Amino acid sequence: MRAIAAITAILLAAAPAAATENLVAGLSQDTVEITSNYTGTDIVVFGAIEQAEAGGNDVVVVLRGPDADMIVRKKDSVAGIWINRDQARLYGMPSYYYIASSKPLAKIADHDALQRYAIGLSNLAPERISSHHDPKPFIAALVRHEQQAGLYGESATGVEFLSPTLFRAHVPVPASVPRGQYNAEVYLFRGGTIMSAQSTPLFIDQTGLERRLFEAAHSSPLLYGLSTVLMGILMGWLSSVVFRRNA
Amino acid sequence: MEIYLPIAEMSVHWLVILGMGGAIGFLSGLFGVGGGFLLTPLLIFYGIPSVVAVATTSSHVTASSISGAIAQWRKRALDIKMGLVMAAGGLAGTTFGVWLFAWMRRQGQMDLVVSASYVILLGTVGTLMLRESLATLRAARSGRPASGQRSSHHSWIHGLPLKTRFRESRLYISVIPPVVIGFIVGTLSAIMGIGGGFVIVPAMIYILRMPTNVVMGTSLFQIIIVAAATTVLQATTNYSVDIVLAALLIIGGVIGAQFGVQVGARLRGEQLRLLLALLVLAVGIRLLFGLVLPPDDLYTLALSP
Repeated sequence: MRAIAAITAILLAAAPAAATENLVAGLSQDTVEITSNYTGTDIVVFGAIEQAEAGGNDVVVVLRGPDADMIVRKKDSVAGIWINRDQARLYGMPSYYYIASSKPLAKIADHDALQRYAIGLSNLAPERISSHHDPKPFIAALVRHEQQAGLYGESATGVEFLSPTLFRAHVPVPASVPRGQYNAEVYLFRGGTIMSAQSTPLFIDQTGLERRLFEAAHSSPLLYGLSTVLMGILMGWLSSVVFRRNA
Repeated sequence: MEIYLPIAEMSVHWLVILGMGGAIGFLSGLFGVGGGFLLTPLLIFYGIPSVVAVATTSSHVTASSISGAIAQWRKRALDIKMGLVMAAGGLAGTTFGVWLFAWMRRQGQMDLVVSASYVILLGTVGTLMLRESLATLRAARSGRPASGQRSSHHSWIHGLPLKTRFRESRLYISVIPPVVIGFIVGTLSAIMGIGGGFVIVPAMIYILRMPTNVVMGTSLFQIIIVAAATTVLQATTNYSVDIVLAALLIIGGVIGAQFGVQVGARLRGEQLRLLLALLVLAVGIRLLFGLVLPPDDLYTLALSP
């Protein structure tokens, strides 16, 4: 909802300039199904700029996962032991964020514009912050951690132009992504401002046995727990029977 | 081949997990410990979320202890009455521990408390066991009979009421010490995600003065009960038991445990205790480094509860 609101705001702001511009974009698939041998995949975001003026077009593609609330804690040395001291709660940060652009973001728009549009890893901001300290280093730490975990990423050359009007971007969806509704946002930039934007939803969910196990763990946890224990007891007993025969 | 874990929400290589389960199962059969104190850090190191690692480890501990306990039961090296008495204390302890776990998580000091308890416990237990087993080995080498172990010296334990006879352990003592030990270990197991064998085994030998041959079987027996209860408790309160991860760990674990029991039968008690002491100390020292060395990244990230 938030992403859609942001895009609406951007479109309204860009409306007079974008009157003649038209952006059409789509995804290679609108759902990603996580099965037992899922190890991550790539989705392709493709599109065309209609009635494009020759040259000067830049495209930015963002895949944004469902919002999550996180706590970032900072360790401090107290009497020789490193313990968590300061902390910040960051509400409404994306659980997944990948940004691909046709050239480095700094060459597409100036810093202030990117910050205003909240585009780019360094411009991600939570909806709400609860902390007694300057939140900037905490937000930076979150981005750093998520990058290491493969859940945040950027590619300054990720959007390739196949012709002056046709473009394409490969966006990775690693195995560790959270499930939920994602949004693929495509922005058309010219002269440092957004001329047009489009958002397409992408659903990522478990299917088959994984889905049923996940649901069982949440809908009937007692039965699920007892089954796990029973499985362990049976396997333990079975192995000692098998090994006794062999011995 | 990679396998996707539905609760951990990540994919893992099945051979790696199977191997981890096997190695821990082997140690479990060898020493009569559940191996949770090694498996939990191992899984977290591999990238499994710590909540899932702690909860799933208890199901693995259940299974690998079962096959170990059956093997000991065949050798009649198991005191069921003692196991049940300790498990009664253990169940109360786990319930208290799960509550304590949730409280500490809210305070944001979970990591510190877990690491510090590991360091203190592993350090103390490891040092005690190392000193004792070295002294026994030295005594055996110099030709003197190892003495003092079964000396029936009268300690404060013998002054306690509610005395009962534990036949297989050849003991006539109060039920209070086993219940209290069970409670403490149960609490620790909920906080640290362990079975607690490395605490129970020395406690049985040094505090209760049980004969070494029934210690392994009895500790495994009581661990089964407490670990099974912990699994169900974690599944119903945190929804964090991953059944696919558990299945892989258990298959490796039960096979490893059988080999462990066979190798253990060929080693002498004090040799086993020396090896376990060194292992326990190594893990403790590794965790101590984690507490005092400056971390690579001062910041840590957690989902807001």
